[in-house]
Amino acid sequence: MSHKGDLLTTGEIGELIGLVAIAVTVFLFIAFPTLAFIYSMIFARFHQDKYQKQLLTREKLVMQQLGKDNLSTLSKPVPERKINQTGLVMSNITVSPSWWQLFLGSIRSIFGGNIVSFDKVLAYGRNEVMQRLREQAIGDGWEEVVNVRVETSMVMNKVRGGKQNKMGTLEFLAYGTGIR
Amino acid sequence: METIMTSNTETIPGFTINQSLGIVTGSTVRAKHIGKDILAGLKNIVGGELKAYTELLMEARTEALGRMMMDASQRGANAVVNVRFATSSVAGGAAELFAYGTGVVVTQG
Repeated sequence: MSHKGDLLTTGEIGELIGLVAIAVTVFLFIAFPTLAFIYSMIFARFHQDKYQKQLLTREKLVMQQLGKDNLSTLSKPVPERKINQTGLVMSNITVSPSWWQLFLGSIRSIFGGNIVSFDKVLAYGRNEVMQRLREQAIGDGWEEVVNVRVETSMVMNKVRGGKQNKMGTLEFLAYGTGIR
Repeated sequence: METIMTSNTETIPGFTINQSLGIVTGSTVRAKHIGKDILAGLKNIVGGELKAYTELLMEARTEALGRMMMDASQRGANAVVNVRFATSSVAGGAAELFAYGTGVVVTQG
């Protein structure tokens, strides 16, 4: 061996690179998901409750400001009045359950029944999108929004290997006709 | 050219429809940005809103609506009634946003 006096031989360097690669792989595929899952289990609740509370205060604020709800699903305003201009108003939100909620949901779907954790996320998304429509209408200067429709669609699917929409991403769209 | 009025009701309240010019459509296909996708994936850990996707979809939908209005103005319509939206997922994480309605000529009264 000509390199006998060196610190590391070629074989040892190779071994070291191999070990580092294994460590990185272990971290990426085992340690990180585990930590993220634990984080999700503990903190997701606080994170979601914060937005839920904000939504409630915003809803109250709009109610105080207008005295009534400015959204309606009827095709004409009641009572009827003169309309000068109409236009489309729309708002959207994309929501997804946390990893912990997805895990709870997958366990629940073995036995069937009401999945409470998903309920919460979907209810939040739907209320939030309607609140945004209210605020959007006020911001654009519409007096009222008629014929409101709320649609739900699954977006950003990864159609690969039979695992469809692994993240459970949902989009809510609310739209209606603003009148003034 | 005045702005095209849009409505998702069958008539435009306060206006009379004189002529129907047929269906007008607008669509766009958007794929997500990989950087935003990774950030959204991290956000997904705690759940709740994924702002990157919300903005992307709204932007795309506005564009689809704009194309629909352009189609309507090319046909000589001054309003679009009964506007509907459709969203579908295309393979590879892309989404197609589609807006359609009926182009009409309206007069006030």
